[in-house]
Amino acid sequence: MAITSIKNLKEFSTNNDRFEGAHLLCPGCAHSMIVRELMNCTDDNLVISSNTGCLEVSTAVYPYTSWDTSWIHIGFENSATAVTGAEAMYKARKRKGTLKDPDAPVKFVAFGGDGSTYDIGFQWLSGAMERGHDFTYICLDNENYANTGGQRSSATPIGAHTSTAQAGTHSYGKKQKKKDIVSIMAAHGSPYVAQLAPNKWKSMAKGFQKALETEGPCFINTVSACTTEWKFDPKDTIHVTDLATDSLMFPIYEIIDGHELNILYRPKNIIKVEDYLGAQGRYKHLFKPENKHVIERIQSDIDKNWTMLQRREEAKI
Amino acid sequence: MSITGSAIGTDKRGIRELGGEEKLGWDEVEQGVVLSSFDGSTENAAFLKPEEREYSDFNSYTATVASWRIIKPVYNRDICIDCQNCWVWCPDTSIISRDKQMLGIDYDHCKGCGVCVEVCPTNPKSLLMFNEASDNDAELAGWPVKEKKEK
Amino acid sequence: MANEYELNDVEVWDGNFAASQALRQAQVDVVAAYPITPSTPIVEGYGGYVANGYVDGEFVMVESEHAAMSGCIGASAAGGRVATATSSQGFALMAEVLYQASGMRLPIVLTVVNRALASPLNVRGDHSDMYLGRDSGWIQIDAFNAQEAYDLPLCAFKIGEHLDVRLPVMVHQDGFTTSHKAQNVYPMKDQIAYNFIGKFVPVDEMLDFTRPVTHGAQTEEDWHYEHKAKQHKALMDSRTVIDDVFAKFKELTGREYKRVETYMMEDAEVALVLLGSSVETAVLAAKQLRDEEGIKVGIVAPRCLRPFPYDLIRDALDTTSLKAVCCLDKSAPGGAMGALFNEVSAAAYTTKARPLMSNYIYGLGGRDFAVDEAKRIMKEQVAHANAGHITTDIQQFSGLRGPKLGFFQTRRG
Repeated sequence: MAITSIKNLKEFSTNNDRFEGAHLLCPGCAHSMIVRELMNCTDDNLVISSNTGCLEVSTAVYPYTSWDTSWIHIGFENSATAVTGAEAMYKARKRKGTLKDPDAPVKFVAFGGDGSTYDIGFQWLSGAMERGHDFTYICLDNENYANTGGQRSSATPIGAHTSTAQAGTHSYGKKQKKKDIVSIMAAHGSPYVAQLAPNKWKSMAKGFQKALETEGPCFINTVSACTTEWKFDPKDTIHVTDLATDSLMFPIYEIIDGHELNILYRPKNIIKVEDYLGAQGRYKHLFKPENKHVIERIQSDIDKNWTMLQRREEAKI
Repeated sequence: MSITGSAIGTDKRGIRELGGEEKLGWDEVEQGVVLSSFDGSTENAAFLKPEEREYSDFNSYTATVASWRIIKPVYNRDICIDCQNCWVWCPDTSIISRDKQMLGIDYDHCKGCGVCVEVCPTNPKSLLMFNEASDNDAELAGWPVKEKKEK
Repeated sequence: MANEYELNDVEVWDGNFAASQALRQAQVDVVAAYPITPSTPIVEGYGGYVANGYVDGEFVMVESEHAAMSGCIGASAAGGRVATATSSQGFALMAEVLYQASGMRLPIVLTVVNRALASPLNVRGDHSDMYLGRDSGWIQIDAFNAQEAYDLPLCAFKIGEHLDVRLPVMVHQDGFTTSHKAQNVYPMKDQIAYNFIGKFVPVDEMLDFTRPVTHGAQTEEDWHYEHKAKQHKALMDSRTVIDDVFAKFKELTGREYKRVETYMMEDAEVALVLLGSSVETAVLAAKQLRDEEGIKVGIVAPRCLRPFPYDLIRDALDTTSLKAVCCLDKSAPGGAMGALFNEVSAAAYTTKARPLMSNYIYGLGGRDFAVDEAKRIMKEQVAHANAGHITTDIQQFSGLRGPKLGFFQTRRG
């Protein structure tokens, strides 16, 4: 397959974008940074599906499409099924010789937000992963139902304020921990699973390329900072993502074949999670004295998780 | 729609506002709501620069979101080191780079988020945000000088 | 190349096996499916053909019926022949994506083995699932026996894939009474059946990389209405293609299908309108009543539920001899008159004859509908005809234990 060189950014920038402007995503949205990078990671033809969500409602509103490749949307829950249906058809037609260009290289990619990945499309994703199709699923994880105005999902971290898990006089926001989707996907026996972030463009590009190159169902959770619902200035998308990765709120790592964990980014200076939380309006209430325990809890969870990831890496499990 | 300094593009770039397209009758809309990205037959767009593509009227490339902008980035070629940070992180495919060189901003598709300015590593920055109504040449003439790092 | 399947001139197949053979002969490229009683054997059959080289297609066993139809949509948009099967709750779970398939104009064939909808849970045949598909934008064709359960999917591919149609097609058969009842079936040879349907012609396929396409775009108030109207037009216009495909099928096999089947309607004074395997029961009852008592009964059976054959229903009911018509609905009406009654009555209202129209609910959850009961209902129509008005409640229940249940009375008497 035609994998693009990602030696350095200058070289990477010679790629011709296949994701067009005048889509309707918010200014500063990380979704399109991630989608652009995925599409720039390969020269192969792409068949892409999207679940209902910010990406979908912003890139295919009749009479416009922002996609220069084949693209399909069916519903909120079934992008994994849509693209694996197409992948099955590709195999059948290749065998029967009915493809227009049987030698044209193609990759199958599904996108979903965290709502569709962690929640409503969880079963469809799980089914597609188990069936072993050759495709890559990319979750654009902005930790809430941003498309419908910022409701909690099972990807929303504990303590975050959302419209359906509100912070108030009797509440510190969401009470439940975020679902560990990466482990769940690794437990499917997927050959390649990773958590990546757009601020670390090179590790993200490498991870995307690995997933595209690896035969079988691959899953990548990407951190997609949401200027609108996380409540930060649109210009700060990369800055907030830096804080996410450097506080280890979003550790960057991969799991190969379900049992080989590699950490892909080790912050030189690990920052306190307060710095990350403090940069976003959705965590503002946590800085009240009565909610101090929530920040302590978040920091403690991060520390334990980081220890676990490092131990798994050392033990090669 | 293009304004000075928008570098290269095709004749079709940003030729209309979203929603400004002709509203067709039921007999003229596309069967199955299918939208083709290009007119006629095309090579894989990965091998075509935008100016080499036959964009169809359905491609959002032909629309503009310039009216979303309140502030705009202005690009100063004299300082730029072509690091391509702005290119890789632009959420609106609005940094025009060709052959490893940053050429300018696509003002038809830029929404003015300011990410490009934040990720610009030069000192002074090669991209700065200004009021949408301001004059690019005037802003370039008054570009700030190198800041000394505070110790 | 797929192996040829040795077939006798006459096979003894049940409706499920008949349908699976049709899917094999169509050389379906992708079947994405999930098992559910009573339709499971259709996809098991396809799985067996894949396992033994009788088809070259991909058999994708997904984790739900919703995913089955989702996979079919993705596969169909990728430019090949696609089919699946389901029943009842599975059909209900699919409902969301059924609308997507038709709106996206994808010619998927869905063989539906009709079964009741819970609650209470029931695996037997009634038409609740078939009725649930009424507004989904699919063509719906109804097979009354195993032969038809073989013939009609073959026609369905040819209809749905026709370039003037490009719509998905359901082929219905009744759970158990058709799906599990072995009957004589006259199959075509593989090549003849395949040639009848013809090669699949991709339209806007996602695997033609020289022409990237976006499927499933959103339309808001500026565009949605026009798209839905265009889709409706295609569905209404499919009537001529259906007629044409049925005519070609008759040329090839001698077996004749019409969007509305009529039996003994030329001189009928009373008539029953009904669907599915009950049609054969009603025809038998009508013949016996004619022979035994000289009562002129006719039967009208919509073969095509969608597009609703308003035109042919009206033709069938527009005879000077016809006085009373009873529409039998095998689906819980949910607080309304039966859907068949409502639609047929609307067509009958514009006839010159304007027969008396009444409604029976019957056969829910697989309750038997026997010849004697059909005769009783026919005789009741004669009583209406003689009185010149409906002498009973307009909606009644057939074969129901407990006090008589009925609703509404006529104001014409």
